[in-house]
Amino acid sequence: MQNTIFFLGKGGVGKTTLSSAFALTLARSGRRVLIVSLDPAHNLGDALRTSLNGKPINVEPNLDALEVDLSEWVDKYLKDSREQLKANYSYNMALNLDSFFDILKYSPGTEEYAVLWAIEDVHCTLAPQYDYIVFDTPPTALSLRFLSLPAISGLWVAELAKLRERILRSRQTIVKLNPTSPVAESCVDKEDDRVYGKLRSIRERLAMLNTLFSKHSFISVIINPDELSIFEALRIKDELTRLGIPLSAICLNKQGVSDAEWHIDPKLSHLPRFTYNFSRDGIQSRDDLFAIGLEPLMHQFLHEKESKR
Amino acid sequence: MPVHVRHILKAALDTVVQVNREKATGMLDFELKELENIFALLILGGFAGLPSPPSPIAVELLPYMEKELTILLSRTDLSQDPLGVLMGMLEID
Repeated sequence: MQNTIFFLGKGGVGKTTLSSAFALTLARSGRRVLIVSLDPAHNLGDALRTSLNGKPINVEPNLDALEVDLSEWVDKYLKDSREQLKANYSYNMALNLDSFFDILKYSPGTEEYAVLWAIEDVHCTLAPQYDYIVFDTPPTALSLRFLSLPAISGLWVAELAKLRERILRSRQTIVKLNPTSPVAESCVDKEDDRVYGKLRSIRERLAMLNTLFSKHSFISVIINPDELSIFEALRIKDELTRLGIPLSAICLNKQGVSDAEWHIDPKLSHLPRFTYNFSRDGIQSRDDLFAIGLEPLMHQFLHEKESKR
Repeated sequence: MPVHVRHILKAALDTVVQVNREKATGMLDFELKELENIFALLILGGFAGLPSPPSPIAVELLPYMEKELTILLSRTDLSQDPLGVLMGMLEID
């Protein structure tokens, strides 16, 4: 069922403003909503005028919000792996490998994975308590990387699983021919092999996230009336198409902020488009957010959800 | 036939069978070690500049790979003379 909403777009186009306005609109129409900020530079709490942290905090009736602490997720994950390693390895090797974990925090890809673990946690543990989950995402580069990770890592894991199966088949053959071989002390069965079991569990988790992104999410790209944000929206669309993730709507935010000429690319013009005017008085409260008027987008979302059911 | 002679014959026969079994699986053992070595290299290659899965996946698998790491390290010791190892395996003097 489609109950997850992502707002993507270039930095500064108004992702936090529109995602919090959308969450407020859903909540004030009687749906239970959780809005989650995945941006390492959080400002969801500022938009909602509430102090937030890594746990859901009630903002108003039907609306909870949280700001994911990515460094906390990285630390938790590395701590779990480190403890697992110490439990499984002999003393000497654990001591040598332990030093790796201090630098892994800064390894490329770790932050993107932290976003994935956070989404998985929200999807598996928090989502059942709500009707809808709205994600306020980081700027395009990080968002596209975490959206593409399940597909890319899935390929790696599938190949590694194939190689592992080959190793297990070789072990089985050796043990069959020579039952006293030292190989008999290793795991020969897929069900007992912990590496294969781990690969299978990673593959299942990645497949679940891939399905969440490609089948159960309503993805809206926010643009401003300027060429740069439209170019970026095109890049987002191309990348998402390559990953098999459909785009559901375009939100044109800050209409009227400038008189410069601009036009929407034909590649984006077939998508449902919703326009929001630039507010010269700014947004001072949650009521101002609600007043932006996201009901048409909400109806589009609910309509698409119904048609996919 | 006396019992002790029968025991001696059985032990001799078992030895011959075991030697043949060892010979039959020698090549497979070598191949298996290579596969395990490649598996470890693929997981941990990122640390040495080889193409590898994203490091968080490697970290998730690392706690279960002590045996593969040991093979990887022993293979590193043998890497100075790979032809020698292969010739030894094929029993070529």
